[in-house]
Amino acid sequence: MGGVGFAVGVLGGLLLAHAAYATIQYRGMLKIVEEEFSGPPMNVVVELLVALVLCIFSGLTVPGKFLSILPDSDDNRVVSLPANLDFMIFNHRGRVFPSNADLKLKI
Amino acid sequence: MVGAAEEAQLNRLETQVDNGGGGAWEYLCHVRKLKARRPDKVLKHGLSILNNAKARSNLGAEEWTLYEQVAIAAMDCQRLDIAKDCISVLSKKFPGSTRVGRLEGMLFEASGAWADAERAYERLLQDSPHDQVIQKRKIAMAKALGNIAAAVEYLNKYLEIFMADQDAWRELAEIYVSLQMYKQAAFCYEELILCQPTDPLYHLAYAEVLYTMGGLENLQTAKKYYASAINFTGGKNTRALYGLCLCSSAINQITKGRNKEDKESPDLQSLVAEALVKDYKKKAPAKLPLVTNTLKSMKLIS
Repeated sequence: MGGVGFAVGVLGGLLLAHAAYATIQYRGMLKIVEEEFSGPPMNVVVELLVALVLCIFSGLTVPGKFLSILPDSDDNRVVSLPANLDFMIFNHRGRVFPSNADLKLKI
Repeated sequence: MVGAAEEAQLNRLETQVDNGGGGAWEYLCHVRKLKARRPDKVLKHGLSILNNAKARSNLGAEEWTLYEQVAIAAMDCQRLDIAKDCISVLSKKFPGSTRVGRLEGMLFEASGAWADAERAYERLLQDSPHDQVIQKRKIAMAKALGNIAAAVEYLNKYLEIFMADQDAWRELAEIYVSLQMYKQAAFCYEELILCQPTDPLYHLAYAEVLYTMGGLENLQTAKKYYASAINFTGGKNTRALYGLCLCSSAINQITKGRNKEDKESPDLQSLVAEALVKDYKKKAPAKLPLVTNTLKSMKLIS
């Protein structure tokens, strides 16, 4: 998906550049026929709109997934507090339940 | 704070590792990140990595973090021999380190040599008097010795200096609740809500303290905080739903026979009761009659 999105973005950029080039050419032509510039021609406007859509598409897909900002979504909903490890104490029932005696650190 | 998705991932990793599916290091990282307390699993899987020279060297510098994690887990399981081995490896690598010194102090604590632990911490505090972790260990030690009054005193002194330490506020609040000093506990939870305004569990705990204190004004405030806890969890916290039910019925009893202004509007109560019934219908249909009977006796549903 990332590759496709990137390619679409490049295409959009090229279209934008082409639209700019076409406008410059159009103004040059207007100078020759001695008319006033009132607005870009139709094909440039269409090109700009297509380029806009393509650039938005790639801008939304390339950087990655959207993250939820709702406080009650599964990503953000807080279900438990972390164990307060800085204040942990050791006189609890762990003493009574001996762990597996085979465990040993080999040095 | 532990999110729902993170907790689910931790549990998934735990079953995967327990069934021999690999991913032990990822699991241990997750335990560390979420600050979960699962000493037996950490000990087992941590040792399996540490005893495998190749897996251990793959970790690079993280190896020493793992030694520390396993040492603390071993103390938690009362496997002092393993803890001692881990700490000796660490002190060989980092001689004179405060962090290793703290581990040694904790080892004294775990073996019940309180005087030695006290001495070790005092020595470390002389070198760095503002080390938060060591001061917290001293507070925990007072608690472990059953000297709750001293623990409260130390904590208050500590919080005068380090006011932004949420863990300490939480610890103080829990100690106050265990001593039934609800007014003080409520103050601590207010601090916590100020620090973390979007954490529903602090809202919930604050509401519970207020509900326990009782009185119309406290009950009404408690109800608001239960409501905000429900808001932040999207109604998925059953405890908050029950709390709101209890608050409403208590308020109804107090305001019985009073004029209309003090009375609660019935909309919220019936809404919460409905949400509870719906939840039970979906997740535990066997318990549904019990819940409906209770809610009926509280006059929240008809």
